Amino acid sequence: MTLVQQSSATSGGSGSGNLYDVLELILDRGLVIDAFVRVSLVGIEILKIDARIVVASVDTYLRFAEACNRLDLESGRKAPSQLTDLVGDMTENGAKGKSKGALTGAVEAVTESLQGKKDDSGQEEEAPRKRPARKSSSSRQSAQRSEG
Amino acid sequence: MSTYVYALTGAGQPLPLEELRGVGEPAAALRTVRGRELMAVVSDAPDRLRAKRRDVSAHQEVVEALMRETAVLPMRFGLVAPDDEQLSASLIERESAYQQRLEEIAGHAEYNLKASRDEEDLLREILRDSEPARQLNERIRTGQGTHEDRVALGELVSGEVAARHRAAAERVENALSSCAAEAFLGEGAEGHFMNTSFLVPKEREALFHQTVRTTADEAGEAYTFTLTGPLPPYSFV
Repeated sequence: MTLVQQSSATSGGSGSGNLYDVLELILDRGLVIDAFVRVSLVGIEILKIDARIVVASVDTYLRFAEACNRLDLESGRKAPSQLTDLVGDMTENGAKGKSKGALTGAVEAVTESLQGKKDDSGQEEEAPRKRPARKSSSSRQSAQRSEG
Repeated sequence: MSTYVYALTGAGQPLPLEELRGVGEPAAALRTVRGRELMAVVSDAPDRLRAKRRDVSAHQEVVEALMRETAVLPMRFGLVAPDDEQLSASLIERESAYQQRLEEIAGHAEYNLKASRDEEDLLREILRDSEPARQLNERIRTGQGTHEDRVALGELVSGEVAARHRAAAERVENALSSCAAEAFLGEGAEGHFMNTSFLVPKEREALFHQTVRTTADEAGEAYTFTLTGPLPPYSFV
């Protein structure tokens, strides 16, 4: 088995390395006071909808069928790809990339787009770039448009 | 000036607010707004606040730092009160409910456990166990399968995947429920068959960790578990 233990989402000197794993907690749970408004979560809302893409549909069925067809049944159980390991305080999610397939393919792009955002904002924090408003308005994603 | 709210806690206790950085750019200074028995940790709300990674991260860091000092009710990211006066009034109006929850979560932390299983391993198990799935798979592999066969195989396998994931999640949750005060079942995504938050009392944290490790050991090579915590009790407020 693989057990990844993360002491918290923001510790370990890695900035927000594990934020992705608790994003839904921070955005979806937590206390709200009904009378007050929440800021717009444009971009993030899209992210969450995409992450729930695993629906029962013909497309999903066909992906499963294909994955079954591809299996090499003769070779029996696949040899363990790695030894049992226990990782403490990882800054990267050990599960990423380990379990790609029909189940995860659909949301892969979403994960990557968020990680891309992480890199971007990491750069921002270390070395804020002063971009003229004209230039930054071209092709960035909506979540980044509010810079400046 | 509207007021961004991070967390609620008991009034009058010293908190290391000057060491923390709030949302916005430049980062807003933190202060408190007092009700009667409760206070809120807040900052001025930046103009045009959006859910950017930097701000979500700042929110989380503030709440985590507060949690290390005292029991707090963490707010959901992005909650903005029109001004301090209305926030204060709101704290007083709902004081008993908030206070009760603060007492209940005192000495507890949230742990989020996600679990996934290698997909090939699961599909192999299904094909081993299900005669109809094996037959359909064989027909398609030998070139005799129709589109309907492929859909039928996928539907059958998809149902098996869901059922086996549910069963696996229940096994893990049952094993851990005795070490936790409460559990919150989240939606699985990204191939996780389980995404559950547990509210764990401090005195059972060691036992909880031990049980997670034992459960992961027993599950075998094909499984990956990601345990995150201690976290502010977002799922239990």
